[in-house]
Amino acid sequence: MVMRTVGEGGLSEWRDDHGRLHPHYAGVASALEQLGPGVLAERWQASRRQAERDGFTFYLDPREYRTTPIDVLPRVIPAEHWARISAGVAQRLRAINRWVGALYGDGQDVVPNDVVYSCDYFLPEAEGFRPPRDVWVHIYGIDLVHMGDGRYYILEDNLRVPSGITYQMKTLEIAARQLPEFAEGYDITPYDVRETYLDLFRSVAPDAGPEGPAAVILTDGKFGSAFFEHRYLSDLLGAPLVEGSDLYVGHDGRVYARTADGDYAVDVVYRRIQDLEIFVPGLRDAYFAGKVALINGVGAEVADDKLVFLWVPEMIRRHLGEEPILEQAPSHNLLDAEERRYAHENLEQLVIKSRRGYGGIGVYVMPDLGDETHAQVRALILSKPDEFIAQETLDFSSHVVYDEQAEQLEPRYVDLRVFAVQDGEGRVSVFPGGLTRVARAGSRVTNNSSGGLCKPTWVLT
Amino acid sequence: MQTDLGPDLDEQVVASYLYAARYEYNQAVLNNDNQLRVFPRDGEGQEALGYELWTEPPCRALPFTDRFGNPVNRVRAVEHHTQFVVATTGRVRLSTRQPEADEVGIEAVRNLPEQLEYASATVLVDPSPLAPLASEVIGGATGLIGAVRAVTDWVHDNIRYLRGTTDTTTTAAEVLAAGEGVCQDMAHLSLGLLRAAGLPCRYVSGLLTDQVGETHAWLEFVHPTAGWLPADPTRGVVLPPAGDFVKFGVGLDYTDVWPINGTFLSKGAAAHLAAIARVRFGEHESNLADALTLLNDAHVVPR
Repeated sequence: MVMRTVGEGGLSEWRDDHGRLHPHYAGVASALEQLGPGVLAERWQASRRQAERDGFTFYLDPREYRTTPIDVLPRVIPAEHWARISAGVAQRLRAINRWVGALYGDGQDVVPNDVVYSCDYFLPEAEGFRPPRDVWVHIYGIDLVHMGDGRYYILEDNLRVPSGITYQMKTLEIAARQLPEFAEGYDITPYDVRETYLDLFRSVAPDAGPEGPAAVILTDGKFGSAFFEHRYLSDLLGAPLVEGSDLYVGHDGRVYARTADGDYAVDVVYRRIQDLEIFVPGLRDAYFAGKVALINGVGAEVADDKLVFLWVPEMIRRHLGEEPILEQAPSHNLLDAEERRYAHENLEQLVIKSRRGYGGIGVYVMPDLGDETHAQVRALILSKPDEFIAQETLDFSSHVVYDEQAEQLEPRYVDLRVFAVQDGEGRVSVFPGGLTRVARAGSRVTNNSSGGLCKPTWVLT
Repeated sequence: MQTDLGPDLDEQVVASYLYAARYEYNQAVLNNDNQLRVFPRDGEGQEALGYELWTEPPCRALPFTDRFGNPVNRVRAVEHHTQFVVATTGRVRLSTRQPEADEVGIEAVRNLPEQLEYASATVLVDPSPLAPLASEVIGGATGLIGAVRAVTDWVHDNIRYLRGTTDTTTTAAEVLAAGEGVCQDMAHLSLGLLRAAGLPCRYVSGLLTDQVGETHAWLEFVHPTAGWLPADPTRGVVLPPAGDFVKFGVGLDYTDVWPINGTFLSKGAAAHLAAIARVRFGEHESNLADALTLLNDAHVVPR
């Protein structure tokens, strides 16, 4: 292997501790060699052109057309790693679902009341409501990092409107088109997002009739950051894309969509917005009354709270009677005086996350920040410890990205967002692979909102 | 139940209070989600005997205890409304025995590690710019209570009580610059001066037992043997007579103990129309009907 890697150190997806290429990258590495810098540069440019042409966007600023940056060199996950990841993700989804059911049902005693009741996403009006077959969580996104030897740690759970499944698909599609040579000799586990989602729609609206349910995708509009995903899913699933003003609740309590050909009743609303009541007055009540299926339902958002995250391992033990399969990043509850003091004394080594944050907002990776920010964050955790959690800064894995101008590979921190679906019968599917997100050089923050790259991700059979 | 009341009934008094507030909106409100901190806190010379809560529109109240030990209710209205009313009454048993607190050196409590956050900066109280004034004011004081008295007197003498010029976002430094404010502002400035000297202290919200009208704010400081002791810069008193206050909650500053704090969804705006509070001793029970009657007669408050 003559291709140079610059500045590599620490745990790598690409090489082992002795600098030897991991065996599952032998095929990719030899394709890199054979193609050579000239062809690689062409292909890398072609992949960017395709992203541009296909409108593969993730907006950081709605005024600026911005395609999702991708690096077509794949991440390869060995089958035994995946077996553990997918079992752990499914276990976590089931435990959270049970806990949410207990929270709004007979009561829960895993998470302290002051944490739950002070959570913005806890909805008192959902108390006493039971969704069909007790399915609260339909679509779940989970952020993992690889700590080496197949040990993946959970950084956070996404239970509001997690986006990314089509970014996972589209990145794979572009890579397969522009660099089919990489995949030669690999057995990549296939998955079918279309079938899984259509099955989900049918299962949450079982009485819709032989033609299947009338489903719509409720978007926040074309200036929303993940509009690409809304449009892609609409095409993929044959479900019209609607905005809030296109829907209304009729006198019979059902939800209707306005179209040029007249209005029709909707069975399933796959909502990609958070504040339902603002956009479609009455939609939440229609859902509570069983007149429409909502994906995700109302209520599970409470487990998106970064403070509630601390108790998920206990949810697994209490509600499933199992030990957690995946570990989560060692985290500290700042409401506890001891842990708060620890965080205060060791602040320089910690990650501080806002309880309400998402998309990388409100995440302070202290080792990467300056003294002034340290002082500000120190004041924050002392004065508002109920607004933050502290996590140990993890030295998780890096992968390499190809810089076609310098003709070399460069290491970057990577995480893995994995998506799972629970259908209306309670069956859980975890899509093999997930979305590998690449941090900017020198950063550990990998969210798409932070402007990093995406990588195609394979799970070997 | 945590209480430090003496066994002697002569040293106790039962008080009942009422508190009511009304908000009006110029357009319909969809969700109105609030945390209320207007309930009797237990401990430190006050025993909570219970409370009632009423809202319009009706909400299911979710009671919990926050990280400071303050009783809180979360109430969320989800039906459309243009007016939101909260009324509550409660009863407490207060100790009238003055706590025994000898004067001690400042060093006994200065920068205690377990009270770190009570001597640190908050959103509204940043002690660092107040340090020069703090050393000037406290400089001559020989002990802890003396230092608190110096600060309390200074704020009482130098900050003019004036309503309407400050609001819930006014910081301690801004109060000093303006030279005027209300009880909350005087508490914040005093906290800032004490914290600048490394003395742990906290903000207290509640009612003055001899005043009808609105909620009051004062402070408490840490004493090595007596625990948390009160001082009221608005009235310029340290260790006021026991039984002077009904205490709703404590925190690092006002943002920890808002009487009503929340969010609502509406295209329109809110006006906080009126709030009223009253405390009575002995057999005079406060009831919700009284609270609403008083609320209807109450003046519009500017903040």
